[in-house]
This record gives sequence, structure tokens and C-alpha cells, in this order.
Amino acid sequence: MIVVNYVGAVVLFCVGLFGVLARRNLIKIIMGLSVMEAATYLLLVSLAYHGGSTAPVLTQPPHGMTRAQVVHGNVADPVLQNFCLTAIVIGVAVTAVFLTVAVRVGQHYRSMDADDVKALHG
Amino acid sequence: MIEQRAAEHAERELHARSDFHRVWLALLLVGAFAAILVLGVIGLPRESAALPAVARHAMEIALPRWGQTEVVSAIIYGARGFDTFGETFLLLAAVVSVVTLSRAREPRHEYVGEASAGQAEQEQLGHKSSEDESSEDEQEHEAREAEEDEEDDDSSDGPADPDRIGLGARAPERARAMSVVVRVGARAAAVVLAVCGIYLATWGYTPGGGFPAGAAVSGVVLLLYAALGHRAVRAAVRPGVLEPIELVGATVIIVVGVLGLVLTGSLFANFLPLAQPQTILAGGVQQIYSFAELIEVATGLTIAIFSLLGMRREWSGDDEDDASEDDTGDAS
Repeated sequence: MIVVNYVGAVVLFCVGLFGVLARRNLIKIIMGLSVMEAATYLLLVSLAYHGGSTAPVLTQPPHGMTRAQVVHGNVADPVLQNFCLTAIVIGVAVTAVFLTVAVRVGQHYRSMDADDVKALHG
Repeated sequence: MIEQRAAEHAERELHARSDFHRVWLALLLVGAFAAILVLGVIGLPRESAALPAVARHAMEIALPRWGQTEVVSAIIYGARGFDTFGETFLLLAAVVSVVTLSRAREPRHEYVGEASAGQAEQEQLGHKSSEDESSEDEQEHEAREAEEDEEDDDSSDGPADPDRIGLGARAPERARAMSVVVRVGARAAAVVLAVCGIYLATWGYTPGGGFPAGAAVSGVVLLLYAALGHRAVRAAVRPGVLEPIELVGATVIIVVGVLGLVLTGSLFANFLPLAQPQTILAGGVQQIYSFAELIEVATGLTIAIFSLLGMRREWSGDDEDDASEDDTGDAS
């Protein structure tokens, strides 16, 4: 029932997107972005899974299997798991920069409301 | 007075209206986007789909070509080595951005003339609106006092730890560290966690090697900070100490990549003899890459977190003395 995971990822992504679009508080907007990032992790890891697959690890093959059987058998997709790792690192980097900007905006405008950030209004 | 109230009322109404529009517009957009996502998800491969050829290839070459039993690590530092390189430098760029954004103002007022111009403007503004900004001044006064309190907290008043404060004393607790139970627990856990973190990278059994290990090591620093207070970790978490270490990690990654290119003809290719799988040297250059990544991630995350935690206030109306004081203060 991997479809449940896919639907979960879509719902999570939409919740995050709604947060980004409908909230005015900068911290909540950043939280929305983090939720969207989490949705992509869920989607990537779910995509990597195949029914009844083993982990893509050759250290200790499961009972009654040889390494060659694991290599050619039913394993979870290691490339997609890899993308997930990359996504996590980029998510952390982006969140750190956003938070710093949010703190500076808070200090400068004395408000976390995105509507009050009007210095660039024409 | 009446005019002011009317203006406030109008603004509140405008806010309420914009809030309403924001919500239904957002719902509309999110609904449309959800429809697109669902359409995309319908086309995704299901559980029964075969493993893609690229993943099968990665499974097949992990052991013969890289001598690695951990396929995810073999991909991240092998086949996708160049991607990981880009990702690492993205993290480095983010850390540099955080450090740049979070540091106090530079003493450049005479060079660019920005601060002196700003000050003149501030004075003008101050004359114009000194009467009707009394509430905001109060607010600012309060915030300034709170921040001064916070800064003092680190240096003067407040005992070193809360064990000397009697039970039932008034809040807030002003001690710099946590109680003896937490401190002892954190000291014991920090050693175990640090060893585990480095083990994750050195033995190369973990998916991602240096990435989770680096996150674990920066978690140890945070644990010590939470338990022992800022003073205990202040010397170690300054960007002046961590930034060179991070750049050493970045340099090692570049050297490994370029050596691969020079010696074997492709970036990040293995040029070292492969050791027995599941030993500390298994994986050839991947171990060096993974360890450099450990340094990079651990220092990068620590710098970013402590830069964020140590951000000083930057009031628009600060005078020059304040700015130079910010600069000479410890950049933590």
C-alpha cells in the first residue's frame, strides 16, 4: 500500500504550501517550507521501496541469501535513498538561511509579520 | 486622536480583509497544485515495479568497483560524487550566508558613508516624530533592557549552576548551566555520542557516512551547550576557530576530486588500492571523502546554529559607539 505514502506526501506538501501562502508570520512561513521539504523526503523514500524488498546493504545478507542474490534480487532503490540524503542537507542549509533572514527582519522592523516588510514597496 | 483611531480602525479592517483574501486565494492555489500532484502521483511506479537500471547497476558495482558493502554510501561518494561535491559547497555557501547575515555591523561608516548618512536620516526622523512615537520608544526601551539583561546573564549576575539556588526560589532561573543531574548526564552522553558519530563515518557502514556523522557531532556540541551553558563551549564554537577547520574539509574534498581527475581521468574516481570490505580502509577514496564530509557538516552546522543563537540586536537607531562595541564583542 505504497499509495498511502504517496497520498501522505501530497497532503503534507499541500499543508506546507498552504502555510507558506496563507500565513503572514515569517516563522510560520519557514515552518511551512520545512513541512514541504519533509513531504519530499517521504515521497523519495516511499518511491525507493519495492514490495517485500530488503535494504540495499551487502554487509550481512538476510537469512538464506547470498550477496549475489541480494545484488540481483528485490532491494530498495539506493539511488532514491541517496536523493533523500541530498534533499535533507539542502533543506537544512535553506532553513538556516531563512531563519537568519527572519531574525534580522524581526530586529529591523520589530515585527515578524510579512506585511510589515515594506521597505522595497515602490 | 480621533483621526488616529480612525486610521487604526481602517488599517485593522484592511488587515482582516487581506487575511480573508489570503486564505481563499491560498486554498484555491493549493487545490490546483494538489490536483497536479495527484496526477503526477498516479503516474509514479508502484511497489511491484522493477528496480530501475541505474539502481541495479549501482548495486552491481558497489562491491567490485568500490569495495563497499554499503551501497548508498558507495553511490553518494562514488557514482554521484560530483553531485555530493555541489551539495557540500551549497551547504558551505549557506553557512557563509548565515555568518554574513548574522554578524554585527562592520565599522565601515567612514568608508562607504552608509552609517553616517543613515544617522543623519535617523536624527531627522527622530525630530519629526518624537512626540507621537512615545509608545514605540517605550517598547524599544523595554526590548533594549531585556537584551542587556540577556547579555549580562553570560558575564556577571546569576550563579554558575542552579544547585546553589534554594528550592522554590523565584523564577526565572538565572543560572548559566543546568542542574548537576543534567550536567553529569550530558558529560557522559557527550563522550558516547561523539565516539558513535565518528564511528559512523570511519567504518563506512552507514548510509551517507559523513553526513549523519556530522549531524551527530554537531548534536553533541548542542547538548553540551544546553547542559553546561554558553561559557563552556564559547571558546570552541567561534567562527574564527571552526571556519578554518571547515575550509580544510572543503579543501580535502577538492583535492580528492582533482587527484581522481589527474590520476584516473575522471573526477572523484578511486585512485587508491581497495582494502578488504568492511574494514576501516574499505572504499578507497570514499573514506577520505566521507571523513572530509564529516568535518564539513559538523563544523558547518555548528557555525550556523551558534551564529543564529548569538545574533545581536541591530536597532535602526543605533549610534556609532554601539556599532563598534558590537564589533569588538565576542562574535559567538
